Amino acid sequence: MKRRREMKKLDFTHRLDISKSLDEEKTQILNENDALSSSLIENEKILKSIYQDCSDVVYRKFLIGRETQALLIYIEGMSNIEEMDKGVISPLIQLENVNLVNIQILLEEKLTVSKATPTSSFQDVIQQVSSGNPVILINRQIQGISVGLGKWEKRAVEEPMAESVVRGPREGFTETIAVNTTLIRRRIKSPQLKIKKMNIGRYSQTQVAILYIDGLADKSLIEEVNNRLGRIKIDGIMESGYIEEFIEDNPFSPFPQILNTERPDIASASLLEGRVVIMVDGTPFSLIVPTTLYSLLQSAEDYYQRAIIGTLIRWLRYSFFLIALLLPSSYVAILTFHQEMVPTTLLLSVAKSREEVPFPALIEALIMEVTFEALREAGIRLPKQVGSAVSIVGALVIGQAAVSSGLVSAPMVMVVAITGIASFSIPRYNAAIALRMLRFPIMFLAGTLGLLGIMLSLIAIIVHLSTLRSFGVPYLSPMAPMQYSEMKDVLLRAPWWSLKTRPHLTGAYNQYRQTNGQNPKPPKDSE
Amino acid sequence: MIEQGKISSAQMAIMMNPSILATVILLVPAITAKNAGQDSWISPIWASVIGYLTVLLAYMLNKLYPNQTLIEYCDLILGKFLGKVVGALFLFYYLHVTGIIVLEYGEFVLGTFLTHTPMIIICGSMMIVCAFAVYGGLEVIGRCSEIIVPVLCLLYLVIFLLLIKDLRIQNMFPIMEKGLTPSLKGSIVPQSWFSEFIIVSFFFPYLADKDKGLKWGFISVFSVMFLMVITNITTILLFGKLTSELTYPVMVAARYISIADFLEHLESIVMAIWVAGTFVKITVFYYSLVLGTAQYFKLSDYRPMVLPIGFLLVLFGIWSAPNLQELSHFLGTSAAFYFLSFQVGIPIFLLCIALVRVKWLQKKGSMSG
Repeated sequence: MKRRREMKKLDFTHRLDISKSLDEEKTQILNENDALSSSLIENEKILKSIYQDCSDVVYRKFLIGRETQALLIYIEGMSNIEEMDKGVISPLIQLENVNLVNIQILLEEKLTVSKATPTSSFQDVIQQVSSGNPVILINRQIQGISVGLGKWEKRAVEEPMAESVVRGPREGFTETIAVNTTLIRRRIKSPQLKIKKMNIGRYSQTQVAILYIDGLADKSLIEEVNNRLGRIKIDGIMESGYIEEFIEDNPFSPFPQILNTERPDIASASLLEGRVVIMVDGTPFSLIVPTTLYSLLQSAEDYYQRAIIGTLIRWLRYSFFLIALLLPSSYVAILTFHQEMVPTTLLLSVAKSREEVPFPALIEALIMEVTFEALREAGIRLPKQVGSAVSIVGALVIGQAAVSSGLVSAPMVMVVAITGIASFSIPRYNAAIALRMLRFPIMFLAGTLGLLGIMLSLIAIIVHLSTLRSFGVPYLSPMAPMQYSEMKDVLLRAPWWSLKTRPHLTGAYNQYRQTNGQNPKPPKDSE
Repeated sequence: MIEQGKISSAQMAIMMNPSILATVILLVPAITAKNAGQDSWISPIWASVIGYLTVLLAYMLNKLYPNQTLIEYCDLILGKFLGKVVGALFLFYYLHVTGIIVLEYGEFVLGTFLTHTPMIIICGSMMIVCAFAVYGGLEVIGRCSEIIVPVLCLLYLVIFLLLIKDLRIQNMFPIMEKGLTPSLKGSIVPQSWFSEFIIVSFFFPYLADKDKGLKWGFISVFSVMFLMVITNITTILLFGKLTSELTYPVMVAARYISIADFLEHLESIVMAIWVAGTFVKITVFYYSLVLGTAQYFKLSDYRPMVLPIGFLLVLFGIWSAPNLQELSHFLGTSAAFYFLSFQVGIPIFLLCIALVRVKWLQKKGSMSG
């Protein structure tokens, strides 16, 4: 009876604090026998009990110099077996001086692999084995050796799919964090580039790296990133999106407060502006903090093409940002409330095409927009072979057939199409989806209050954007709070030689990025 | 302090511009033209003197009480009982004035765009957006106006640019036909608007760069004066003696624009300017009222007051006048004295007492020391 009550109590506390009990579970396995024992048989027993029912763990026993027992543990398919044979097993088996088996000497003299570190606890061993590094345990030694021979199937560095450029590097991040940090290190060779690693996820033990440039990034920012990442307690991280949601400032805003990129050049440029990059193993998307609205509207190519083109493209993008947000609702508002604003001839032709349409403009716009969104979603998810069928059917449905059957008017189709194009012209996918989402409430307000509704929703969006902060940096900076000197990288894209300073909210620490007076000018002695 | 945020003096100046101008551009050109005739463009220049004076008053009071707002130093200057009385008067005054602004907004939208929509919806929807901004605090209001106001001024100037070909310079002559009197008389109503600058006394304590406060305050007064002069010149040049007969001269002027058969009916731009400008104006007054109320009752946070006061403001708006004609009549006649006595009279009175107090304390201090 008493025992049952205890059981019940245990069950209750278990439910009360699952995370705590999960932690305890982990420590039960690992911390009881924290240090390796000197007996190989015992070590093997414990490891086998930990890796119970893990058929992919391989135990390979061999003798060092025909006498000392040793055990090699690795996970099949995660380690480079050829290298292991050549650099670890064969030198150890052929070892002569048997009595002097000493970890340090083995490490320094015998193992012909470049990365080998001693491990002394079970936790260490498990971590190394799980991340693909084989571990050698030797009888009568309280230390094992983990050999850095992890090697698994990974995708090659390819062109980034989500952010393509005409001019600019074609490399993109991959799913392997080591490759990604290399891509950054190859661009920023200074030892000031710091890469701090931590593991997040109780089960997944996902590697997360914080990258920053020492002396450029604000110390308090690095501290804050560290703190926010350190607070995450979760079972596993599958994508940097998990982390993004844990560390963003306002989780219920439609606007992304953290930039993600799969381009190493964007990540490096952000590092040079004093921002912090967070990389997550298992996904090509790394996060950049802090982020402002304007960096969501900039593309890497703005800085690679010539300055004037860059400026014009930026203006185009800003105007299409507004079009993507406001065009359908303006159409609805003008047709419902403010017909007098349309020039007479245009009004007549619109009225003619709307003659047979049975719905009010708001319903018509909603139908078309929802169909378009569904079509777009279908196009993304479908296998590539079927994708073309969707676009053909879609073009027929929301194009020709809808108009000729009189369900929607031709101008409405145009409005939806232009809105679609406009939202594709925004370089960041997550900024574009924010607009797609906001379009619908604005359309409703436009249908009920006309242009006034549009103005009010626009003001509400501006108010919301002014309240947003990304890691302490106002989301609308440098426009609000105004920093006149930075307007040349927001309203314009000034030539590189005139972009002398870093953005002041992230780069105030080390203000100047280049020396003065580098603008091209004719040589002094020319006539 | 209740408000944790800081704004820059430039942000304050930007905020204050539409806080004065937003309601000016609708009714005031007609009211000024009634008194000043073709000299109505001179009136804002006279009126701006009051603007400089109120900014100076607010600044000097702030010098004496650097971390307090108007409501707080009422107590310190007049003592507990009288201070509370004057504070309450101020709060009721701001409740009334903000209500009037809400009504002006509602009447305009009702009269020109959404003739069938109930007033409560129009005012209520605006108040919700304003409450959203006030809830965000001073920094948010500052940043919003930094985004909104430059666009507004640009659009506003564009309207006048597009009107240039229709302007007839003869309408302006003879300048000062009857001497200074008409323009001075016409300046009385704009003066009451310029005296609204006293509201900067709610922002001075929260400036990050206090030393520039006076300078930017003056710049703000000047910018308002400049835009008012432009408005009045354009309406006079466009409509001549007709100006005083129109209710919303700027609105009619925007309707007048027709370029290349394409740029027509730009009143929607005026509406956009007007709505956004009024948003800033209501938000600034609403914020000051909420902050003042919280300080009056010595609350630790002003946010719980935002919604209740928002409701009150909509009600005061609807109660303050039954229709536009009555409102316009009130603004054109007795309002000037009402506004001026509260926004200039009482602050001068406060400043005098404060100066005497400070002098007296100094004397007492030097005598005992």
